[in-house]
Amino acid sequence: MTRIRRFTQAAFLLIFLWLFLQTESKGANELGYPVKVFLDADPLIFITTALSTRQLDFPLLLALIVILATVLLGRVFCGWVCPLGTLHNLAGTLKKRRPSAKPLNAYRWKYYILIFLLVSSVFTLQPAGVMDPIALLIRSLSLAVYPMVQYATVSVFNTLYTWQLPLVTDGSEWVYGILKKGFLSFQQPFFNQAAFTGLVFLGILALNLRERRFWCKYLCPLGALLGLLSRYALLNRSVSEGCDGCGVCVETCQGSAGPDRKDQWIKAECLACLNCDDACPKNAVRFGFSAKAPDASLDLGRRRVIGSAMAGLIAVPALRITPLRKAGAADPQLIRPPGSREEREFLRRCVKCGECMKVCITNGLQPALLEADLEGIWSPVLVPRIGYCEYRCTLCGQVCPTGAIQKLSLEEKAKVKIGLAMIDKGRCLPFAHGMSCIVCEEVCPTPKKAIWFEEVRVRDRGGPERILKQPHVDLELCIGCGICETKCPVLGRPAITVTSIGESRSRDNQLLLS
Amino acid sequence: MNRRDFMKSALITGAAIGMPAGLDPILTALQAAQGPDLAVVRGTPPARITRAAVDALGGMRRFVSRGDVVVVKPNIGWDRTPEYAANTNPEVVAAVVRLCLEAGAKRVKVFDHPVSDARRTYRQSGIADAAGAAGAVVSFVDDRKFKDMRINGLTLKTWPLYTEAIETDKVINVPIAKTHGIARLTLGMKNWMGVMGGWRGRIHQRIDESLVDLAMFIKPALTILDAVRILTASGPQGGDLADVKLLNTVVAGTDAVAVDAFGATLFGIKPADLGCVRVGHQARLGSMDLAGMNIRRIAL
Repeated sequence: MTRIRRFTQAAFLLIFLWLFLQTESKGANELGYPVKVFLDADPLIFITTALSTRQLDFPLLLALIVILATVLLGRVFCGWVCPLGTLHNLAGTLKKRRPSAKPLNAYRWKYYILIFLLVSSVFTLQPAGVMDPIALLIRSLSLAVYPMVQYATVSVFNTLYTWQLPLVTDGSEWVYGILKKGFLSFQQPFFNQAAFTGLVFLGILALNLRERRFWCKYLCPLGALLGLLSRYALLNRSVSEGCDGCGVCVETCQGSAGPDRKDQWIKAECLACLNCDDACPKNAVRFGFSAKAPDASLDLGRRRVIGSAMAGLIAVPALRITPLRKAGAADPQLIRPPGSREEREFLRRCVKCGECMKVCITNGLQPALLEADLEGIWSPVLVPRIGYCEYRCTLCGQVCPTGAIQKLSLEEKAKVKIGLAMIDKGRCLPFAHGMSCIVCEEVCPTPKKAIWFEEVRVRDRGGPERILKQPHVDLELCIGCGICETKCPVLGRPAITVTSIGESRSRDNQLLLS
Repeated sequence: MNRRDFMKSALITGAAIGMPAGLDPILTALQAAQGPDLAVVRGTPPARITRAAVDALGGMRRFVSRGDVVVVKPNIGWDRTPEYAANTNPEVVAAVVRLCLEAGAKRVKVFDHPVSDARRTYRQSGIADAAGAAGAVVSFVDDRKFKDMRINGLTLKTWPLYTEAIETDKVINVPIAKTHGIARLTLGMKNWMGVMGGWRGRIHQRIDESLVDLAMFIKPALTILDAVRILTASGPQGGDLADVKLLNTVVAGTDAVAVDAFGATLFGIKPADLGCVRVGHQARLGSMDLAGMNIRRIAL
């Protein structure tokens, strides 16, 4: 059975990674692959988003299938499917087998975390994505791991390229060409907080050195949710008379199910990995379908349950007493992707999975740190100096699993304003220095350009008078895509900048009368 | 280049260098022996008029020799579909690629360094598919292949340029005719911005001189101006079909200044009013004197 399970895990991990690699534009308007399918199948994201938004307007079929599978078979998702779980298995192989270390047995922790998340989502907060394993994994891969792999790989091939050795460089360029087609990203991704996100991920993997699958046993809120759902699962474990209590099964158990305790086996902690069945020297363990099963009750302790529920409740006002929630006081750099819902609604939905940042064609979507305060940590912000919003690209809305960024048609996209550009006359070459420059106008993508010129007579130091074009922003036409800021040749602080004012999604954050 | 071609061009070059200004007619007559200065073909479909224009100049074999590696440089600058006339017509590009291969080119490379995202421009312009199907090697620009080059021009002294565009046997420029905010029009010479690396936006400070510097440095064997659809306003990116005018025309010639001079007339602009054409004429990159030229006009 172990072999079948490992094969299944490997298959799901590979599908997951392959879809991750496909979360990148090839130049068409659509990606062509269901890249967010793992997020769609995630019951924790499904339930918390349904609670926080009181809506069911996002894909839910797959999540329902996972819920159904769990109700019938127990935590098979954790043991057989979850790509983060499989990575934990792999990381766990680095741990020395030392029977001396006592397991922490803190499996209750994750239920407290889950209660916190569920209660806060009832009161419209959506913090689940911070710890949801699928969101966490995609975010970590997108922002840190994949950019690192890319950087390292490209560096090696660039070095071989600069050496220009006969045969060696030809060979390396050939391999590089293949990698560029199927594995590497089109351009090096750069992300704010890359190292921080990567270290958090590394830390979570390193927990396996303390105890294998530490995260799954003690911390994962999705695991806790699936644990609760599996309480009445039909797949049950029975131990026959042959058991002599040798305890081999305890060491192979991937969860905290206490397989040596026979009838006191904790079903909610069983990942259905079937290791205990395989390992039992007496062949006394059997998994089979039965309606009723021995089960140790899951005693979480009333005080602690109330405590975590209270924490979830308190978190809501605690995270929202920030002046950033006032229009006008909000960070002007908080430019949300096109199709984003109004900020409150946006934060109720965004699960910080990083899909939009992974897919952003210009790398302009970056993870927020405190631009939207703690509630919006790791949510997407457009940073035009890094990359602009491509006029005819709608990919971020296509990959958002919860509709925080709505899917737009090309016609709708053309109308959505994400902010407005304004010119800094103190730095703009034609204004401040009498020099000719038209880059912002040239790159402005709206059919009738949102940047127009005024022809003025200028005289620079000692020179004759001449005619110069000075740019102005048409605030009605500007959509805030930021390409002018990205391409402005005044490096450092650009002479034209976009802020969120005028964004279509906000009623208050407006400038113009109409 | 065979011996006869060499003798001929050596003679012309020698004449051009050593000749007093008043002897222009001799030079013109010598060039006329090689065929018309410009071919202007009007009709449909784009592939047919492209072919007719090159044939009118004496056929692609005049420009491409057997075994050459040829760079065909279209404008793939913007994320727009062909009907918006922001990028070179894909059928024109494909026709040029086919002509080169038929003339015996070993390899034809097609690339551009776009302003919008390259993946989208290559795909949405239709050029990647069309040129690929015609047999060209279509590639994205590889940042490692920009190298500082000594241009020694009027304005540009050194600038990183794309080595594949420079270190090749032949270069054929296949621009599209569009309006532009500061250059007024973007035609052939302006298309060389697409082989520049670095912060190329800076050249707008002295755009005309910079463009002539680039054109002098790159020396295309042939310029084929796509005026199947021209963009008459909101260039170079466009986005409004009302700004697109269908001309069904292709202009081809070896003189980069002459092609751009003719291109200007398509917009009702006098050649001398276009900065890079005027500067190019003065710098003897080519001639803007359309009246004194042998222009072969064909309607299909």
